[in-house]
Amino acid sequence: MIDFLNYAVLGILTGQLYAIVAMGFVVIYRASRVFNFAQGELIVLGGFIVWTFVMVFKLHPVIGALLSILAGALVGILIERLFFRRLVGRSVFAMVMVTIGMIILLRGVMLILWGAHERQFPAIFPLEPVIIGEIFIPSPLLASGFLSVVAALALHHFFNRSRAGLALSAVSEDHEVAQSMGISVRKSMALAWALGVSLSIVGAMTYLSGKTLTYNAAEIGFAALPIALLAGLESIRGLLLGGAIIGLIQGLTSAYIDPIFGGQASAIVPYLFMLGVLLIRPTGMFGWKIIERV
Amino acid sequence: MLKIKNLMAIGLAAVLSMSTGQALAQKTYNVASLGDYSGPFASIYPPVEDARRAVIEWWNKEVGAKSQVTLKMKTYDTRYDVAQTASLWPGIKSELQPIAILGLGGSDFAALQTRLPDDKIPLTAANGAYGFAWKADPWAFLSRPTYAHETGAFVNWMSERLNRPVKFVTVSSEASAGFADMAKGIQTYARENPTKAQLIETVFTDLQPSDLTLQMRRVTAANPDVIVVLGTMGQVIATKRALQTLGKKIPVLVSSHNGLATLGPVLGGMAAVEGDYEAHATALATAEASDAHAFYEMLQKNYGLKAAWNGFTIMGLAQTVYTVRAIERAQQKAGNAAITGADVRAALLAGPFRSSDLFGLAPDLEFTSQAPFPTTSAKVNIGTVKDGKFVSVAQGVPVPTVSKW
Repeated sequence: MIDFLNYAVLGILTGQLYAIVAMGFVVIYRASRVFNFAQGELIVLGGFIVWTFVMVFKLHPVIGALLSILAGALVGILIERLFFRRLVGRSVFAMVMVTIGMIILLRGVMLILWGAHERQFPAIFPLEPVIIGEIFIPSPLLASGFLSVVAALALHHFFNRSRAGLALSAVSEDHEVAQSMGISVRKSMALAWALGVSLSIVGAMTYLSGKTLTYNAAEIGFAALPIALLAGLESIRGLLLGGAIIGLIQGLTSAYIDPIFGGQASAIVPYLFMLGVLLIRPTGMFGWKIIERV
Repeated sequence: MLKIKNLMAIGLAAVLSMSTGQALAQKTYNVASLGDYSGPFASIYPPVEDARRAVIEWWNKEVGAKSQVTLKMKTYDTRYDVAQTASLWPGIKSELQPIAILGLGGSDFAALQTRLPDDKIPLTAANGAYGFAWKADPWAFLSRPTYAHETGAFVNWMSERLNRPVKFVTVSSEASAGFADMAKGIQTYARENPTKAQLIETVFTDLQPSDLTLQMRRVTAANPDVIVVLGTMGQVIATKRALQTLGKKIPVLVSSHNGLATLGPVLGGMAAVEGDYEAHATALATAEASDAHAFYEMLQKNYGLKAAWNGFTIMGLAQTVYTVRAIERAQQKAGNAAITGADVRAALLAGPFRSSDLFGLAPDLEFTSQAPFPTTSAKVNIGTVKDGKFVSVAQGVPVPTVSKW
């Protein structure tokens, strides 16, 4: 029973780590209908920014982390300014293609700026685990659980209760209509990208804390994909439940199925579950249902 | 009459000078260097490249110059991608017409292994071999046996010390054909050696796992003697962090590409890898005096080698040294004639290459037509970290027999 509890808790918390990464997808999608394929590279970029502040500039991890989040926001604004500003009013497909191009561009820029060698990522969170009874929880995972809840609640409030957040929702509906209503599409998209990249920084910190920074970290972008699609690409709070479900399924599969199967069934199960849900609910568990009058 | 004699003398002198000139004719051969500047092994490639360059320069000056032979190396970024390598190769072949290819690993084998017999150009590498590359009549060569052989040598050695079968766990990944192959090979070894090895489980995970606490909790319940992680550095670190979380002190076995000398600093210091092991069929990157280290220092001093003394650099050195030795022997055999890739391959198969000829970077190498790696001469070196220092604990450990999988 205690083993089961450990597996369940660790699975759910790992799911929350993926949920933070998935928030980057959702925030950008909610504001522009653009599915950002470069999310994984943004996690790597976030990792390098944190590493630079903490390991190169020798800042305290907390100060380094806060400055990194700010730097992430600036990078997001820069991305919007360079790549997406000219695409306002263009097809979503064109924007999505730009995000695919960004994967290659960001990788190239990072290789030039930081090189390719493996490096120690600072321990933003303590290396010692949190022990509750007989449950051992790695600190970065516990932090990811806490941060995902805080971020989800804050973003939910922002999107549903603040003027700027509601403007983002309007922009995602239709650029031209939003502009005709006096909403600055450019500012809204810049804000969305700033939020998205800042979340990537948070994701990178919880994912890489105390580990190693390599370009393989980009993989987590696609690992978070089932959570984003399961929750529905517009739902922030849904990510918490989606993350918990996927994490729990993955954790228990890893614990009980993988040893029997002799392979990594736990890597496939989240996608199977996601496909099953999408067959029944194409918009995900909490995605928007579009009602059109004809 | 005198005129005729003079003319004959002049003619003879001309012929002699021409033939002497021919004997001293400068020969230049190209060597293709397949690298990875932007793919999964971009982090380890620069020292490999630096080592390759330094060895070629050393050979040109100190060996090739005597026989008027110069080697020119040109590097191509394959991104360690099978498709990229396969698409680049025809261009490399026609542009460079190399007599040998310095490969980086499994992706080069997968891309070129089947076409090299037609192209008649040998490929050499210094990583552990793969089951999928284990084919007769090779044109692609590896100085090391498979990772399963190397792991088997270590487990056998540990079993002798413990006087019982070694209980061990492997961590691998299905995200890479090479890593999945390693796992299969190790499973084959364990199945065939039940008196030496008891494989508890193979944990399959991502190349950069987010957390392995859950998996380690499960497998450490069976009290393994060692955890074998031959995949990425990220997998090793996730394993170490998980063991730390669980408060378990279980040694981890790594290979040359994720070796202890590199791993320690990434984890914050050599104390973090105290008691862990490294085992493979190349020289260990210890600070102890050795022929390999002396050769490395000579290259540093005389040929501008900048790469640190670590597993990656040693792989680059070992690979290039045995390649240039094969070229050297092929040229000796051909005498004045120009050599081809087929001659270099013949020299590789003719062997043996004594460890002393390779500056101790690799054990004696004896290639046969049965496999791309040495099947009889392979020996493994084992190192560990003791009191914060990376030291050798066993040299020349024989590898077990492992069936093809």
